[in-house]
Amino acid sequence: MESVIQVEKLSKNFGDIQAVKHLSFTVRKGEIFGIIGPNGAGKTTTLEILEGISEPTEGTVKVLGLVPHKQRRELNKRIGVQFQAASIQKKMKVKEALDLFSSFYHSATPKDELIQWLGLSEKLNAKFDDLSGGWKQRVTLALAALHKPDILFLDEPSMGLDPSARREMWSLIRRFRDHGSTVVVTTHYMEEAEQLCDRVAMIYDGQLKALNSPRTLLSEHAVDCLAFISDGLGPEHVSALPGVKRVEQIHGEFKVFCDDRQTTAYQLFRYCREHGISLSNFRFEKCSLEDVFIRYLEKEKTR
Amino acid sequence: MNTIVKLACLETKMFFRDRLSLFWTFLFPVVMIWLFGSMFVGDDLSQKAFAEYFVPAWIGVNIVSTSFFTLGTVLTHYRETSVLRRYQSTPLQPWKILAAHTFQGTVIFAVSAMLLMVFGMLLYDLTLPVFLWSTLLSLLISILTFFPFALFLTSLAKTTQAAAAISSLFLNLMLFLSGATFPLEMMPTVLQYAAKILPLYYVVKMLRGTWTQAPITAYGTEVAVLIGIAIVSVALATRFFRWSGK
Repeated sequence: MESVIQVEKLSKNFGDIQAVKHLSFTVRKGEIFGIIGPNGAGKTTTLEILEGISEPTEGTVKVLGLVPHKQRRELNKRIGVQFQAASIQKKMKVKEALDLFSSFYHSATPKDELIQWLGLSEKLNAKFDDLSGGWKQRVTLALAALHKPDILFLDEPSMGLDPSARREMWSLIRRFRDHGSTVVVTTHYMEEAEQLCDRVAMIYDGQLKALNSPRTLLSEHAVDCLAFISDGLGPEHVSALPGVKRVEQIHGEFKVFCDDRQTTAYQLFRYCREHGISLSNFRFEKCSLEDVFIRYLEKEKTR
Repeated sequence: MNTIVKLACLETKMFFRDRLSLFWTFLFPVVMIWLFGSMFVGDDLSQKAFAEYFVPAWIGVNIVSTSFFTLGTVLTHYRETSVLRRYQSTPLQPWKILAAHTFQGTVIFAVSAMLLMVFGMLLYDLTLPVFLWSTLLSLLISILTFFPFALFLTSLAKTTQAAAAISSLFLNLMLFLSGATFPLEMMPTVLQYAAKILPLYYVVKMLRGTWTQAPITAYGTEVAVLIGIAIVSVALATRFFRWSGK
Protein backbone atom coordinates (compact mmCIF):
# COMPACT_ATOMS: atom_id res chain seq x y z
CA MET A 1 0.00 0.00 0.00
CA GLU A 2 1.18 3.51 -0.78
CA SER A 3 2.70 5.32 2.18
CA VAL A 4 2.60 9.08 2.70
CA ILE A 5 4.84 9.36 5.75
CA GLN A 6 8.06 7.48 6.38
CA VAL A 7 9.88 7.86 9.66
CA GLU A 8 13.14 6.03 10.27
CA LYS A 9 15.13 5.95 13.49
CA LEU A 10 13.90 9.37 14.48
CA SER A 11 15.37 10.92 17.63
CA LYS A 12 14.89 14.34 19.11
CA ASN A 13 16.85 15.81 22.00
CA PHE A 14 16.08 18.91 24.00
CA GLY A 15 19.35 19.55 25.76
CA ASP A 16 20.06 16.41 27.77
CA ILE A 17 16.52 15.15 27.55
CA GLN A 18 15.77 12.67 24.81
CA ALA A 19 12.14 13.30 23.97
CA VAL A 20 11.93 10.83 21.08
CA LYS A 21 14.12 7.75 20.73
CA HIS A 22 14.70 5.79 17.51
CA LEU A 23 11.16 5.98 16.31
CA SER A 24 10.32 4.22 13.05
CA PHE A 25 6.94 3.90 11.39
CA THR A 26 5.10 4.57 8.16
CA VAL A 27 1.67 6.04 7.62
CA ARG A 28 -0.39 4.67 4.75
CA LYS A 29 -2.38 6.77 2.38
CA GLY A 30 -6.00 7.20 3.40
CA GLU A 31 -5.84 5.84 6.93
CA ILE A 32 -6.49 7.39 10.31
CA PHE A 33 -3.21 6.88 12.10
CA GLY A 34 -3.26 7.34 15.85
CA ILE A 35 -0.31 8.22 18.01
CA ILE A 36 -1.21 7.42 21.59
CA GLY A 37 0.62 7.69 24.84
CA PRO A 38 0.47 9.40 28.21
CA ASN A 39 1.16 13.12 28.56
CA GLY A 40 4.80 13.88 27.92
CA ALA A 41 5.41 10.68 25.94
CA GLY A 42 6.67 12.58 22.89
CA LYS A 43 3.50 12.66 20.81
CA THR A 44 3.44 16.40 20.15
CA THR A 45 7.20 16.47 19.53
CA THR A 46 6.81 13.75 16.91
CA LEU A 47 3.95 15.60 15.29
CA GLU A 48 5.90 18.85 15.20
CA ILE A 49 8.75 17.11 13.43
CA LEU A 50 6.35 15.68 10.85
CA GLU A 51 4.94 19.18 10.30
CA GLY A 52 8.42 20.63 9.84
CA ILE A 53 8.17 23.00 12.81
CA SER A 54 10.83 21.14 14.70
CA GLU A 55 14.07 19.69 13.37
CA PRO A 56 14.96 16.05 14.08
CA THR A 57 18.21 15.45 15.96
CA GLU A 58 18.74 12.15 14.19
CA GLY A 59 17.02 9.93 11.68
CA THR A 60 15.13 10.58 8.48
CA VAL A 61 11.59 11.82 8.00
CA LYS A 62 9.73 12.05 4.71
CA VAL A 63 6.24 13.46 4.43
CA LEU A 64 4.61 13.37 0.99
CA GLY A 65 8.10 12.85 -0.40
CA LEU A 66 9.37 16.06 1.23
CA VAL A 67 11.82 16.63 4.06
CA PRO A 68 9.57 18.58 6.45
CA HIS A 69 11.96 20.98 8.19
CA LYS A 70 13.72 21.83 4.94
CA GLN A 71 10.72 22.09 2.64
CA ARG A 72 8.15 23.45 5.03
CA ARG A 73 6.61 25.98 2.68
CA GLU A 74 6.00 23.37 0.03
CA LEU A 75 4.67 20.98 2.66
CA ASN A 76 2.38 23.60 4.22
CA LYS A 77 0.42 23.84 0.98
CA ARG A 78 -0.47 20.19 1.21
CA ILE A 79 -1.04 19.58 4.90
CA GLY A 80 -3.57 20.90 7.39
CA VAL A 81 -2.75 21.28 11.05
CA GLN A 82 -4.88 21.56 14.14
CA PHE A 83 -2.73 22.40 17.14
CA GLN A 84 -3.35 21.34 20.66
CA ALA A 85 -5.58 23.95 22.26
CA ALA A 86 -5.00 26.02 19.16
CA SER A 87 -6.24 29.52 18.97
CA ILE A 88 -7.05 32.22 16.50
CA GLN A 89 -7.62 35.88 17.29
CA LYS A 90 -10.25 36.17 20.01
CA LYS A 91 -12.23 38.88 18.31
CA MET A 92 -12.19 37.31 14.89
CA LYS A 93 -15.51 36.07 13.59
CA VAL A 94 -15.82 32.53 12.28
CA LYS A 95 -16.56 33.61 8.72
CA GLU A 96 -13.65 36.05 8.78
CA ALA A 97 -11.30 33.30 9.88
CA LEU A 98 -12.51 30.96 7.13
CA ASP A 99 -12.14 33.72 4.60
CA LEU A 100 -8.64 34.66 5.77
CA PHE A 101 -7.34 31.12 5.87
CA SER A 102 -8.72 30.23 2.46
CA SER A 103 -6.80 33.20 1.05
CA PHE A 104 -3.57 31.45 2.11
CA TYR A 105 -4.10 28.64 -0.39
CA HIS A 106 -4.16 28.75 -4.15
CA SER A 107 -6.50 25.87 -4.72
CA ALA A 108 -10.11 26.93 -4.86
CA THR A 109 -11.80 25.72 -1.71
CA PRO A 110 -15.37 24.53 -1.48
CA LYS A 111 -15.99 26.63 1.62
CA ASP A 112 -19.76 26.32 1.62
CA GLU A 113 -19.53 22.56 1.57
CA LEU A 114 -17.21 22.58 4.55
CA ILE A 115 -19.45 24.99 6.46
CA GLN A 116 -22.34 22.67 5.86
CA TRP A 117 -20.38 19.59 6.87
CA LEU A 118 -19.27 21.03 10.14
CA GLY A 119 -22.61 22.71 10.75
CA LEU A 120 -20.89 26.04 11.12
CA SER A 121 -23.49 28.15 9.37
CA GLU A 122 -25.28 29.18 12.57
CA LYS A 123 -21.99 30.34 14.13
CA LEU A 124 -20.53 32.27 11.18
CA ASN A 125 -21.06 35.65 12.83
CA ALA A 126 -19.89 34.60 16.28
CA LYS A 127 -16.53 35.74 17.57
CA PHE A 128 -14.08 32.95 18.25
CA ASP A 129 -13.77 33.79 21.93
CA ASP A 130 -17.53 33.53 22.46
CA LEU A 131 -17.66 29.94 21.21
CA SER A 132 -17.72 26.91 23.50
CA GLY A 133 -14.84 24.44 23.49
CA GLY A 134 -16.56 22.09 21.07
CA TRP A 135 -17.29 24.82 18.57
CA LYS A 136 -13.77 26.18 18.83
CA GLN A 137 -12.43 22.74 17.96
CA ARG A 138 -14.79 22.56 15.00
CA VAL A 139 -13.63 25.92 13.73
CA THR A 140 -9.94 25.07 14.04
CA LEU A 141 -10.66 21.75 12.34
CA ALA A 142 -12.36 23.64 9.51
CA LEU A 143 -9.35 25.95 9.20
CA ALA A 144 -7.04 22.94 9.03
CA ALA A 145 -9.13 21.18 6.40
CA LEU A 146 -10.46 23.90 4.13
CA HIS A 147 -7.90 23.39 1.38
CA LYS A 148 -8.55 19.63 1.26
CA PRO A 149 -5.07 18.75 2.46
CA ASP A 150 -3.44 15.43 1.61
CA ILE A 151 -2.60 14.94 5.27
CA LEU A 152 -4.48 16.30 8.23
CA PHE A 153 -2.52 16.52 11.51
CA LEU A 154 -4.70 16.73 14.59
CA ASP A 155 -3.12 17.15 18.00
CA GLU A 156 -5.55 16.04 20.71
CA PRO A 157 -8.63 17.05 18.70
CA SER A 158 -11.13 16.08 21.35
CA MET A 159 -9.37 17.40 24.41
CA GLY A 160 -11.82 19.05 26.77
CA LEU A 161 -14.89 17.99 24.79
CA ASP A 162 -17.90 16.34 26.38
CA PRO A 163 -18.69 12.77 25.27
CA SER A 164 -21.27 13.68 22.66
CA ALA A 165 -19.13 16.43 21.15
CA ARG A 166 -16.27 13.95 21.06
CA ARG A 167 -18.34 11.45 19.12
CA GLU A 168 -19.35 14.15 16.66
CA MET A 169 -15.71 15.09 16.26
CA TRP A 170 -14.87 11.48 15.43
CA SER A 171 -17.50 11.23 12.76
CA LEU A 172 -16.21 14.47 11.22
CA ILE A 173 -12.67 13.15 11.19
CA ARG A 174 -13.83 9.91 9.56
CA ARG A 175 -15.55 11.98 6.96
CA PHE A 176 -12.33 13.72 6.04
CA ARG A 177 -10.68 10.33 5.66
CA ASP A 178 -13.53 9.10 3.48
CA HIS A 179 -12.96 12.09 1.23
CA GLY A 180 -9.37 11.17 0.60
CA SER A 181 -7.31 12.79 3.35
CA THR A 182 -4.87 10.83 5.44
CA VAL A 183 -5.31 11.70 9.10
CA VAL A 184 -2.62 11.61 11.77
CA VAL A 185 -4.07 12.13 15.20
CA THR A 186 -2.56 12.16 18.69
CA THR A 187 -4.59 11.39 21.73
CA HIS A 188 -4.29 10.18 25.25
CA TYR A 189 -7.86 8.94 25.25
CA MET A 190 -7.60 5.22 24.57
CA GLU A 191 -11.26 5.03 23.75
CA GLU A 192 -10.69 7.56 21.02
CA ALA A 193 -7.87 5.52 19.54
CA GLU A 194 -9.95 2.36 19.69
CA GLN A 195 -13.00 3.87 18.04
CA LEU A 196 -11.42 6.24 15.58
CA CYS A 197 -8.09 4.95 14.35
CA ASP A 198 -7.33 2.42 11.66
CA ARG A 199 -3.90 1.86 13.12
CA VAL A 200 -2.37 2.93 16.38
CA ALA A 201 1.22 3.60 17.43
CA MET A 202 1.72 3.40 21.17
CA ILE A 203 4.45 5.68 22.36
CA TYR A 204 5.82 5.72 25.85
CA ASP A 205 8.90 7.57 27.02
CA GLY A 206 9.71 8.57 23.44
CA GLN A 207 9.80 5.00 22.21
CA LEU A 208 7.47 3.02 20.02
CA LYS A 209 5.96 0.21 22.08
CA ALA A 210 3.43 -1.26 19.69
CA LEU A 211 1.98 -0.54 16.28
CA ASN A 212 -1.08 -2.17 14.81
CA SER A 213 -4.80 -1.91 14.31
CA PRO A 214 -6.67 -1.50 17.60
CA ARG A 215 -8.40 -4.84 17.09
CA THR A 216 -5.13 -6.71 16.56
CA LEU A 217 -3.56 -5.02 19.54
CA LEU A 218 -6.50 -6.14 21.62
CA SER A 219 -6.47 -9.73 20.47
CA GLU A 220 -2.68 -10.02 20.67
CA HIS A 221 -2.79 -8.98 24.24
CA ALA A 222 -5.91 -10.86 25.15
CA VAL A 223 -6.34 -9.79 28.70
CA ASP A 224 -10.06 -10.33 29.01
CA CYS A 225 -11.10 -10.81 32.59
CA LEU A 226 -13.85 -11.46 35.06
CA ALA A 227 -15.12 -8.60 37.15
CA PHE A 228 -17.28 -8.74 40.27
CA ILE A 229 -17.87 -7.25 43.68
CA SER A 230 -17.74 -9.26 46.85
CA ASP A 231 -17.29 -8.40 50.51
CA GLY A 232 -16.62 -11.84 51.89
CA LEU A 233 -13.86 -12.78 49.46
CA GLY A 234 -10.18 -12.00 49.91
CA PRO A 235 -7.72 -11.74 47.04
CA GLU A 236 -5.80 -14.71 48.44
CA HIS A 237 -8.88 -16.91 47.98
CA VAL A 238 -9.33 -15.83 44.42
CA SER A 239 -5.67 -16.30 43.52
CA ALA A 240 -5.84 -19.86 44.81
CA LEU A 241 -8.50 -20.80 42.23
CA PRO A 242 -7.19 -22.92 39.35
CA GLY A 243 -6.14 -21.11 36.17
CA VAL A 244 -6.01 -17.62 37.72
CA LYS A 245 -3.03 -15.55 36.54
CA ARG A 246 -3.51 -12.25 38.24
CA VAL A 247 -5.99 -10.53 40.55
CA GLU A 248 -6.59 -6.82 40.87
CA GLN A 249 -8.76 -5.21 43.48
CA ILE A 250 -9.82 -1.62 42.98
CA HIS A 251 -12.44 0.02 45.22
CA GLY A 252 -13.80 -3.34 46.28
CA GLU A 253 -14.13 -4.54 42.71
CA PHE A 254 -12.16 -7.61 41.69
CA LYS A 255 -10.64 -8.08 38.27
CA VAL A 256 -9.49 -11.62 37.63
CA PHE A 257 -7.23 -12.35 34.69
CA CYS A 258 -7.13 -15.99 33.67
CA ASP A 259 -6.55 -18.43 30.81
CA ASP A 260 -10.07 -19.68 30.50
CA ARG A 261 -12.75 -17.39 31.79
CA GLN A 262 -15.54 -19.93 31.71
CA THR A 263 -13.75 -22.51 33.83
CA THR A 264 -12.50 -19.94 36.33
CA ALA A 265 -15.98 -18.47 36.61
CA TYR A 266 -17.38 -21.92 37.37
CA GLN A 267 -14.74 -22.50 40.04
CA LEU A 268 -15.41 -19.11 41.52
CA PHE A 269 -19.15 -19.60 41.77
CA ARG A 270 -18.70 -23.04 43.27
CA TYR A 271 -16.27 -21.72 45.87
CA CYS A 272 -18.60 -18.93 46.85
CA ARG A 273 -21.60 -21.24 47.10
CA GLU A 274 -19.71 -23.73 49.27
CA HIS A 275 -18.56 -20.97 51.62
CA GLY A 276 -21.78 -19.01 51.60
CA ILE A 277 -20.15 -15.87 50.15
CA SER A 278 -22.23 -13.49 48.06
CA LEU A 279 -21.15 -12.12 44.71
CA SER A 280 -22.62 -9.17 42.90
CA ASN A 281 -22.17 -7.30 39.63
CA PHE A 282 -20.47 -10.27 38.06
CA ARG A 283 -19.57 -9.89 34.38
CA PHE A 284 -17.25 -11.09 31.65
CA GLU A 285 -15.29 -8.00 30.88
CA LYS A 286 -13.82 -7.20 27.53
CA CYS A 287 -10.46 -5.59 27.72
CA SER A 288 -10.06 -2.13 26.24
CA LEU A 289 -7.06 -0.52 24.64
CA GLU A 290 -6.65 1.30 27.89
CA ASP A 291 -5.99 -1.99 29.71
CA VAL A 292 -3.48 -3.00 27.08
CA PHE A 293 -1.77 0.31 27.48
CA ILE A 294 -1.73 0.21 31.26
CA ARG A 295 -0.21 -3.25 31.06
CA TYR A 296 2.55 -1.88 28.89
CA LEU A 297 3.21 0.89 31.36
CA GLU A 298 3.34 -1.56 34.26
CA LYS A 299 5.73 -3.78 32.36
CA GLU A 300 7.95 -0.73 31.90
CA LYS A 301 7.92 0.11 35.58
CA THR A 302 8.74 -3.37 36.79
CA ARG A 303 11.66 -3.65 34.42
CA MET B 1 -1.00 40.76 -1.83
CA ASN B 2 -4.58 39.70 -1.42
CA THR B 3 -3.67 38.01 1.85
CA ILE B 4 -1.83 41.04 3.24
CA VAL B 5 -4.77 43.33 2.52
CA LYS B 6 -7.23 40.83 3.94
CA LEU B 7 -5.22 40.34 7.10
CA ALA B 8 -4.67 44.08 7.53
CA CYS B 9 -8.40 44.78 7.10
CA LEU B 10 -9.32 42.07 9.58
CA GLU B 11 -6.84 43.31 12.14
CA THR B 12 -8.16 46.85 11.74
CA LYS B 13 -11.72 45.62 12.18
CA MET B 14 -10.75 43.71 15.30
CA PHE B 15 -8.97 46.77 16.66
CA PHE B 16 -12.20 48.72 16.38
CA ARG B 17 -14.03 45.93 18.24
CA ASP B 18 -11.87 46.59 21.29
CA ARG B 19 -13.22 49.58 23.22
CA LEU B 20 -10.21 49.88 25.48
CA SER B 21 -7.73 50.31 22.68
CA LEU B 22 -10.09 52.78 21.01
CA PHE B 23 -10.00 54.90 24.15
CA TRP B 24 -6.23 54.84 24.58
CA THR B 25 -5.45 55.40 20.92
CA PHE B 26 -8.02 57.96 19.91
CA LEU B 27 -9.52 59.65 22.94
CA PHE B 28 -6.66 59.75 25.42
CA PRO B 29 -4.32 61.99 23.35
CA VAL B 30 -7.15 64.42 22.64
CA VAL B 31 -8.01 64.60 26.33
CA MET B 32 -4.35 65.18 27.17
CA ILE B 33 -4.11 68.05 24.67
CA TRP B 34 -7.25 69.55 26.13
CA LEU B 35 -5.85 69.23 29.68
CA PHE B 36 -2.53 70.76 28.75
CA GLY B 37 -4.41 73.46 26.89
CA SER B 38 -6.40 74.44 29.92
CA MET B 39 -3.18 74.54 31.96
CA PHE B 40 -0.82 76.38 29.64
CA VAL B 41 -2.87 78.64 27.40
CA GLY B 42 -2.97 82.11 28.90
CA ASP B 43 -1.13 85.39 28.85
CA ASP B 44 2.29 83.92 27.98
CA LEU B 45 1.16 81.38 25.43
CA SER B 46 -1.40 82.01 22.70
CA GLN B 47 -3.76 79.25 21.64
CA LYS B 48 -2.06 78.91 18.29
CA ALA B 49 1.44 78.76 19.76
CA PHE B 50 0.27 76.14 22.25
CA ALA B 51 -1.24 73.98 19.53
CA GLU B 52 1.81 74.32 17.30
CA TYR B 53 3.95 73.16 20.18
CA PHE B 54 1.84 70.30 21.52
CA VAL B 55 -0.18 68.84 18.64
CA PRO B 56 2.79 67.79 16.47
CA ALA B 57 4.50 66.41 19.58
CA TRP B 58 1.48 64.33 20.53
CA ILE B 59 1.17 63.07 17.00
CA GLY B 60 4.71 61.86 17.55
CA VAL B 61 3.68 60.27 20.86
CA ASN B 62 0.88 58.51 19.01
CA ILE B 63 3.41 56.88 16.72
CA VAL B 64 5.10 55.49 19.81
CA SER B 65 1.91 54.23 21.43
CA THR B 66 0.66 52.72 18.16
CA SER B 67 3.91 50.92 17.53
CA PHE B 68 4.30 49.62 21.07
CA PHE B 69 0.70 48.81 21.94
CA THR B 70 -1.27 48.33 18.72
CA LEU B 71 1.58 46.47 17.06
CA GLY B 72 4.15 45.16 19.50
CA THR B 73 2.03 44.08 22.43
CA VAL B 74 -0.65 42.61 20.17
CA LEU B 75 1.90 40.52 18.27
CA THR B 76 3.40 39.30 21.54
CA HIS B 77 -0.10 38.35 22.60
CA TYR B 78 -0.53 36.46 19.32
CA ARG B 79 2.74 34.71 19.94
CA GLU B 80 1.73 33.77 23.46
CA THR B 81 -1.70 32.47 22.46
CA SER B 82 -0.36 30.43 19.50
CA VAL B 83 -2.04 32.60 16.87
CA LEU B 84 1.28 33.03 15.09
CA ARG B 85 2.06 29.37 15.46
CA ARG B 86 -1.17 28.57 13.69
CA TYR B 87 0.04 30.70 10.76
CA GLN B 88 3.34 28.86 10.79
CA SER B 89 1.70 25.76 9.35
CA THR B 90 0.14 27.61 6.44
CA PRO B 91 1.91 28.89 3.32
CA LEU B 92 1.76 32.42 4.80
CA GLN B 93 5.27 33.91 5.10
CA PRO B 94 6.31 35.94 8.17
CA TRP B 95 7.04 39.11 6.21
CA LYS B 96 3.43 39.18 5.06
CA ILE B 97 2.24 39.11 8.66
CA LEU B 98 4.58 41.96 9.56
CA ALA B 99 3.55 43.88 6.45
CA ALA B 100 -0.13 43.48 7.26
CA HIS B 101 0.38 44.67 10.82
CA THR B 102 2.49 47.60 9.67
CA PHE B 103 -0.24 48.55 7.24
CA GLN B 104 -2.90 48.28 9.93
CA GLY B 105 -0.77 50.29 12.36
CA THR B 106 -0.31 53.02 9.77
CA VAL B 107 -4.04 53.26 9.15
CA ILE B 108 -4.83 53.49 12.86
CA PHE B 109 -2.09 56.01 13.43
CA ALA B 110 -3.31 58.12 10.51
CA VAL B 111 -6.81 58.23 12.00
CA SER B 112 -5.51 59.24 15.41
CA ALA B 113 -3.24 61.92 13.91
CA MET B 114 -6.13 63.36 11.91
CA LEU B 115 -8.26 63.46 15.03
CA LEU B 116 -5.60 65.35 16.96
CA MET B 117 -5.05 67.81 14.14
CA VAL B 118 -8.73 68.51 13.61
CA PHE B 119 -9.17 68.91 17.36
CA GLY B 120 -6.29 71.40 17.39
CA MET B 121 -7.76 73.30 14.46
CA LEU B 122 -11.22 73.53 15.99
CA LEU B 123 -10.21 74.50 19.52
CA TYR B 124 -6.84 76.17 19.24
CA ASP B 125 -6.69 77.81 15.79
CA LEU B 126 -4.09 75.34 14.57
CA THR B 127 -3.34 75.55 10.85
CA LEU B 128 -2.24 72.81 8.47
CA PRO B 129 1.53 72.22 8.45
CA VAL B 130 3.33 74.95 6.56
CA PHE B 131 5.60 72.38 4.92
CA LEU B 132 2.94 69.73 4.45
CA TRP B 133 4.97 67.32 2.32
CA SER B 134 7.89 67.62 4.70
CA THR B 135 5.64 66.80 7.63
CA LEU B 136 4.18 63.80 5.81
CA LEU B 137 7.65 62.59 4.91
CA SER B 138 8.74 63.04 8.53
CA LEU B 139 5.77 60.96 9.64
CA LEU B 140 6.67 58.22 7.19
CA ILE B 141 10.26 58.13 8.40
CA SER B 142 9.10 58.08 12.01
CA ILE B 143 6.75 55.18 11.36
CA LEU B 144 9.45 53.22 9.56
CA THR B 145 11.69 53.80 12.58
CA PHE B 146 9.28 53.10 15.37
CA PHE B 147 7.32 50.13 14.09
CA PRO B 148 10.28 47.76 13.77
CA PHE B 149 11.88 49.31 16.88
CA ALA B 150 8.82 48.45 18.97
CA LEU B 151 8.29 45.09 17.30
CA PHE B 152 11.81 44.06 18.18
CA LEU B 153 11.66 45.26 21.79
CA THR B 154 8.29 43.68 22.52
CA SER B 155 9.33 40.42 20.87
CA LEU B 156 11.85 40.04 23.70
CA ALA B 157 8.90 39.59 26.06
CA LYS B 158 7.48 36.11 26.49
CA THR B 159 4.12 37.18 27.84
CA THR B 160 1.63 39.88 26.99
CA GLN B 161 2.04 41.40 30.43
CA ALA B 162 5.78 41.67 30.01
CA ALA B 163 5.33 43.23 26.57
CA ALA B 164 2.88 45.73 28.01
CA ALA B 165 5.37 46.55 30.76
CA ILE B 166 8.16 47.13 28.23
CA SER B 167 5.79 49.27 26.18
CA SER B 168 4.67 51.36 29.15
CA LEU B 169 8.25 51.90 30.22
CA PHE B 170 9.35 53.18 26.82
CA LEU B 171 6.21 55.23 26.28
CA ASN B 172 6.49 56.97 29.65
CA LEU B 173 10.20 57.50 29.34
CA MET B 174 9.76 59.11 25.96
CA LEU B 175 6.68 61.05 26.99
CA PHE B 176 8.58 62.91 29.65
CA LEU B 177 12.05 63.04 28.18
CA SER B 178 11.45 63.84 24.54
CA GLY B 179 10.10 67.32 25.02
CA ALA B 180 6.65 66.15 23.97
CA THR B 181 4.97 67.04 27.25
CA PHE B 182 7.43 69.24 29.12
CA PRO B 183 9.84 71.59 27.42
CA LEU B 184 13.31 70.12 27.73
CA GLU B 185 14.73 73.53 28.62
CA MET B 186 13.00 73.16 31.99
CA MET B 187 15.03 70.08 32.80
CA PRO B 188 18.53 69.54 34.22
CA THR B 189 21.35 69.24 31.69
CA VAL B 190 21.83 65.53 32.36
CA LEU B 191 18.27 64.78 31.37
CA GLN B 192 18.58 66.97 28.31
CA TYR B 193 21.42 64.75 27.16
CA ALA B 194 19.52 61.60 28.08
CA ALA B 195 16.65 62.78 25.91
CA LYS B 196 18.87 62.61 22.87
CA ILE B 197 19.25 58.87 23.25
CA LEU B 198 15.53 58.41 22.76
CA PRO B 199 14.28 58.31 19.17
CA LEU B 200 11.11 60.26 19.98
CA TYR B 201 13.23 63.35 20.67
CA TYR B 202 14.18 63.49 16.99
CA VAL B 203 10.65 62.76 15.82
CA VAL B 204 9.20 65.58 17.93
CA LYS B 205 11.85 68.02 16.80
CA MET B 206 11.28 67.17 13.16
CA LEU B 207 7.47 67.30 13.35
CA ARG B 208 7.36 70.60 15.23
CA GLY B 209 9.93 72.07 12.86
CA THR B 210 8.27 71.09 9.61
CA TRP B 211 4.89 72.18 10.94
CA THR B 212 5.91 75.83 11.25
CA GLN B 213 9.53 76.65 10.52
CA ALA B 214 11.45 74.83 7.82
CA PRO B 215 11.21 71.98 5.29
CA ILE B 216 12.65 68.57 6.11
CA THR B 217 15.96 69.42 4.44
CA ALA B 218 16.76 71.54 7.48
CA TYR B 219 16.57 68.45 9.70
CA GLY B 220 19.27 66.28 8.17
CA THR B 221 20.66 65.08 11.51
CA GLU B 222 17.26 63.99 12.79
CA VAL B 223 16.47 62.17 9.54
CA ALA B 224 19.86 60.45 9.56
CA VAL B 225 19.53 59.31 13.19
CA LEU B 226 16.03 57.95 12.62
CA ILE B 227 16.94 56.13 9.42
CA GLY B 228 19.92 54.63 11.26
CA ILE B 229 17.63 53.35 14.04
CA ALA B 230 15.19 52.10 11.39
CA ILE B 231 17.82 50.02 9.61
CA VAL B 232 19.13 48.48 12.82
CA SER B 233 15.59 47.75 14.05
CA VAL B 234 14.45 46.12 10.83
CA ALA B 235 17.52 43.91 10.89
CA LEU B 236 16.96 42.95 14.53
CA ALA B 237 13.19 42.48 14.16
CA THR B 238 13.53 40.13 11.19
CA ARG B 239 16.54 38.31 12.65
CA PHE B 240 14.77 37.62 15.93
CA PHE B 241 11.26 37.02 14.62
CA ARG B 242 9.77 34.04 16.43
CA TRP B 243 6.59 32.14 15.73
CA SER B 244 6.07 30.82 19.20
CA GLY B 245 7.10 31.69 22.71
CA LYS B 246 8.86 28.39 23.27
